[in-house]
Amino acid sequence: MTIKPYVTSFVLQWKIGLRYRLAVLAGLVAQMWFGAISLMAYAAVYHHAPGVDAPMTLRQAMTYTWIQQSLFTLLPLGCLPAIGEAAKSGAIVYDLLRPVDLWNWWLSASLARLLGNAIPRAVLLAAVAGPLAALVGLNGWSLAPPASLWAAILALCSFILGAFISASIVMWWNIVTARTLSPLGTYAVGTPLAVLLSGMLLPLPLYPDWARELLLFQPFAGISDIPIRLYMGMAIPGGVLTALGIQCFWLAALTLVGRFWMHRTISRMEVQGA
Amino acid sequence: MKNAAAIEVHDLRKTYQVRDGGSWRGKTREITALDGISFTVPAGEIAGFIGPNGAGKSTAIKILAGILRPTSGTVRVGNLIPWENRLAHVARIGVVFGQRTQLWWDLSVGEGLALLRDIYSVEPARFLRNRERLADALDLHGIMDQSVRQLSLGQRMRAEIAAALIHDPDVIILDEPTIGLDAPSKLAVRAFVRDLRRERGTTVLLTTHDMHDIEALADRVIVIGHGRILADSPFEALQATTLSERILEADFTGPLPDLLLPEGATETARGSRSVTITFDPQRLPAPVLVAHLSTLPGLGDLRIGRPAIEEIITRFYADHAS
Repeated sequence: MTIKPYVTSFVLQWKIGLRYRLAVLAGLVAQMWFGAISLMAYAAVYHHAPGVDAPMTLRQAMTYTWIQQSLFTLLPLGCLPAIGEAAKSGAIVYDLLRPVDLWNWWLSASLARLLGNAIPRAVLLAAVAGPLAALVGLNGWSLAPPASLWAAILALCSFILGAFISASIVMWWNIVTARTLSPLGTYAVGTPLAVLLSGMLLPLPLYPDWARELLLFQPFAGISDIPIRLYMGMAIPGGVLTALGIQCFWLAALTLVGRFWMHRTISRMEVQGA
Repeated sequence: MKNAAAIEVHDLRKTYQVRDGGSWRGKTREITALDGISFTVPAGEIAGFIGPNGAGKSTAIKILAGILRPTSGTVRVGNLIPWENRLAHVARIGVVFGQRTQLWWDLSVGEGLALLRDIYSVEPARFLRNRERLADALDLHGIMDQSVRQLSLGQRMRAEIAAALIHDPDVIILDEPTIGLDAPSKLAVRAFVRDLRRERGTTVLLTTHDMHDIEALADRVIVIGHGRILADSPFEALQATTLSERILEADFTGPLPDLLLPEGATETARGSRSVTITFDPQRLPAPVLVAHLSTLPGLGDLRIGRPAIEEIITRFYADHAS
């Protein structure tokens, strides 16, 4: 087996992502806007309840929000659009006609699309919310640098795992799309689920005590919440190894169960016709 | 002849479970798409597969392509069972579904071909040679850098055929490859398939609604209907019998005269100033009929054609009704 087709597929999807430069800018403006509103809300809450012992400082909440906003397009909001189109038009049969491992084939395309969308936005937003905000005197509102060099290295590993977890969840949406022959269901379910459970809407560390630990042990936490905590050097129950362990566990579980499910789906398509 | 592979199909059956009403409450019933078909296409032959919609053509094509499992029966394509050795099988075949696109909308034609090169592990030198040859034959040089979503139907179809052939498949399956094409594109596609078979000995299975495709390409014609094979004969044999019939339409400038048609011709339709005559050129050569009609007063125009494929199939049905 050769890895070449998957790499080529990745590179091509990546190029397609970069082709939509206007979408990157529009997304950036929207994310800055939502980020700024969240920041002002946090500032208001923190300043009017100085006595409360919050699990995150205001500075941490701001950094958390900036990174979440910059990684919005890394979330598994629905299936890969190309697979949705192919399911509707019937061209999905061609995917069965390729001498490739279908899981790796779709995974490389899904990962490339997530990263192709997320990385340009993340770099631009980090530049605007980090050094540029500090330069114009908005130091208190800006994106803080990583807690330490060690934290930066851990966070980088964790972000990479997070991207793979997200792509694996997209794979589950892809399988649902192949079964139902419509991409709409995955977006209807996937978008709210991902936005809520990833900590995009409200940082996971700010949930009530009873929910906080539970939320750490679901797959969406592994996409951006865990990497951000590592970046900021926040304490995680069980320590760094637990954090990375949760991510590895979910990546393995999503892959193994997903592959099995995909195999079943293909068998069913072979019996009933696509 | 090299690299060619034969197709052997024996007693192939396929039934689908269908739920009436489309919900879990509906009753399931079985639909038989293929009711025991057998045929063999020797290596290097072009076989035309014709029949009306719903006859079972698409089901047979999908089974041969390896993406559908039959209920029973055996299929061997170059000694591989398609649905059991799917990856090895699909690496050796090229498929064009005329109504669906296999190229990537967001990519240019050239990028799509490069991706296929990596999927099928085509060596770089062979890839460049094939790409050049396909671009020449299918007139793709001008559209290599265009993204697929910008192509016209004819351009896209030619690119689709190039995409199905870039890896030198031993067997190609063409499902309605000329549907919606303009005349020059149809001719280009037909010429290309003919050359391919001559140069590489590629085995070709072709389904079409266009009798001209069959006439231009097929050595053999397999007629399928109600999930069964109604006829399987060399093209010449089919031509000599069923396809031999001709239709003549004559327009008159005045009221229709008394036709007094010679033996072998029958009047099949009549308007106020036109008449349609069906005749068998074996028994009554066209020049004789034309000469006869020319003697009639007020003859304005003459057109000779052949019956549409649907009519031929309908006649097969009538002949084979069980």
